[in-house]
Amino acid sequence: MAKRSIVPFGPQHPVLPEPVHLDLVLEDETVVGAIPSIGFIHRGLEKLVEKRDFKQYVYIAERVCGICSCGHGMGYCESVEHVMGVEVPRRASYLRTIWMEMSRVHSHLLWLGLLADAMGFESLFMESWRLREKILDMFDATTGGRVIFSVNCIGGVLKDMDSSMLSAIARTVDDMEANMAPLLKTFLKDYTVQSRLKGLGVLTREQAILQGAVGPMLRASGEEYDVRMLGYAAYGDLNVEPVTAKAGDAYARCEVRLKEILQSFRLIREAIDKIPEGPISVPVKGNPSGEYFMRIEQPRGEAIYYVKGNGTKNLDRFRLRTPTTSNIPPMVELMKGCQLADVPLIILTIDPCISCTER
Amino acid sequence: MDQKNEIREITRDVFFATVIRMKMELWRLVQICAVRVEGGYEMSYTFCRNYEMVTLRLHVKEDEEISSITQVYPCAYMQENEAAELFGVKIKNLTVDYRNKLYRIDQETPFKEKG
Amino acid sequence: MNDTKIFAYARTAMKNLFHKPATTSYPFEPAQFPERMRGHIEIDAAECISCGLCMRSCPTGAISVDRTAGTWTINRFDCVQCGSCANLCPKKCLSIVPGYTKPDRHKAKETISLPKKAQPAGGAPQKPAMNPEACVYCTLCAKKCPQGAIEVDRGSRIWKLDAPKCVSCGLCASSCPKKAIEMK
Repeated sequence: MAKRSIVPFGPQHPVLPEPVHLDLVLEDETVVGAIPSIGFIHRGLEKLVEKRDFKQYVYIAERVCGICSCGHGMGYCESVEHVMGVEVPRRASYLRTIWMEMSRVHSHLLWLGLLADAMGFESLFMESWRLREKILDMFDATTGGRVIFSVNCIGGVLKDMDSSMLSAIARTVDDMEANMAPLLKTFLKDYTVQSRLKGLGVLTREQAILQGAVGPMLRASGEEYDVRMLGYAAYGDLNVEPVTAKAGDAYARCEVRLKEILQSFRLIREAIDKIPEGPISVPVKGNPSGEYFMRIEQPRGEAIYYVKGNGTKNLDRFRLRTPTTSNIPPMVELMKGCQLADVPLIILTIDPCISCTER
Repeated sequence: MDQKNEIREITRDVFFATVIRMKMELWRLVQICAVRVEGGYEMSYTFCRNYEMVTLRLHVKEDEEISSITQVYPCAYMQENEAAELFGVKIKNLTVDYRNKLYRIDQETPFKEKG
Repeated sequence: MNDTKIFAYARTAMKNLFHKPATTSYPFEPAQFPERMRGHIEIDAAECISCGLCMRSCPTGAISVDRTAGTWTINRFDCVQCGSCANLCPKKCLSIVPGYTKPDRHKAKETISLPKKAQPAGGAPQKPAMNPEACVYCTLCAKKCPQGAIEVDRGSRIWKLDAPKCVSCGLCASSCPKKAIEMK
């Protein structure tokens, strides 16, 4: 029997700017087991809901994470609105959808860059992030922030987009789509990329379900599950279809995310064409009382928002189950049997966001 | 598409049988959530299949021990450890037990008391 | 999708070699901020009535308002630029404008003293008074009050002012559709 050794990995690691620590059990160079540990940045934001007004908490909810900021704000608002029975104006729902899809593009491009970086493909990393910069500029122009948007409020959105802004977004999207070609070609066809990704970390459909994988992770294993199909916000009016792949390996996850970027471009254009005129928010009276489990599709996968109100301005409980919380157990499964050198890549393919996870 | 999203109250004696059946029918464990209520906890276990979502609601008294579902759904360890650590829910038989060291926080069970 | 290419990126890499850089040469070239950028909070001190709504709505507690001393204080290093105060300000004297806070060695608070408002001869600030003959109990004043100091019950025709809570902003008087409220 080969000699066993335990190699600590993280929380500071060159390829992974996320504070996750893994104890890797190795037999020679092969990983036979891994124990994840997180908890370096626990902030207790869920608890803060007892101290802050439920309307004020929107600003805290969207600061849970930098990348899925728009989604967290929107998920929290939609769940509180559901509890209170508030009907959000259609224009507000459309605006939320447009910002959400832009977030998806920016999150996936960020991930593609990090993946290229983990493979040692520096110039591809810069190419992805250069493209991502355009969408960040659009965020800056429409919401006032590149990362944290602060546009959601209970009952609608705070900022409107006029027709010149909407057409600027449409132009940016067209432009980005044209510039996606080198990325698509390199990520999907390049020999170097394929030799690193193909056959790495295969997750079968059944495994993915029983291990609780969500988002692109689950869809890359062939399960057609995309929460956007439920039609929250304005997704009911748009033509959404889950993007899936069969193989379940790292390459399939990359392929799913690339195709989701293209799908998001299409959805943004569709939403801009269909957006109705009208008010962007409704006044909200009273305090929430009741409970609801809301799910929305974040770029990283399905996120669950649980809100329990007791009729006062402070909620009883707010729970946020982020996509990464669900994706860590399958990630650990994937590591069994892989080579030590592939560990950073496998961690990256789940698109980890530990800051989200620890809230 | 409007799909089922229900909360089902459940008692402890049928809880495990239900969870095992859920696994047989390939339901996906979505989340585990602990809520502090008067004199105990409310544990919510949410499962998903296709677009259906079912939440099993278990009422636990404050000093009552409950058994972990990690033997059925191994991926539950993360969220069960969290409930145990932050709320002080007594969960036994965890396959991976972090023993209150999942989050590196000073205070014990910070979410147990209100305010 | 199974066709494999070698040097799939080579063309783009060559092109990038001869292109001008995607970055700008900041700080030699000034940064361009869009109009909506949430950079920092500014206050129009002349308009402020020190109602304290910004202080209570701030998620991080970066703002403090002292009514007796007549000051408005912000800790710019605690501010997260959420814009909550600017959205809620009843006088719209707070605004969020482009431009970042300058870096500093210490977390310092910035205090702005508010100009003393001209007060009537008695010295006591004005409080709203309701004329029962004109009032239709529409509850608009109660909704507009930043402090929640007014309570109106349409059923039993009660209009009640919680005087210590009142900050004399006059929003109730200006919003009253029947002009039944007077600041006395």
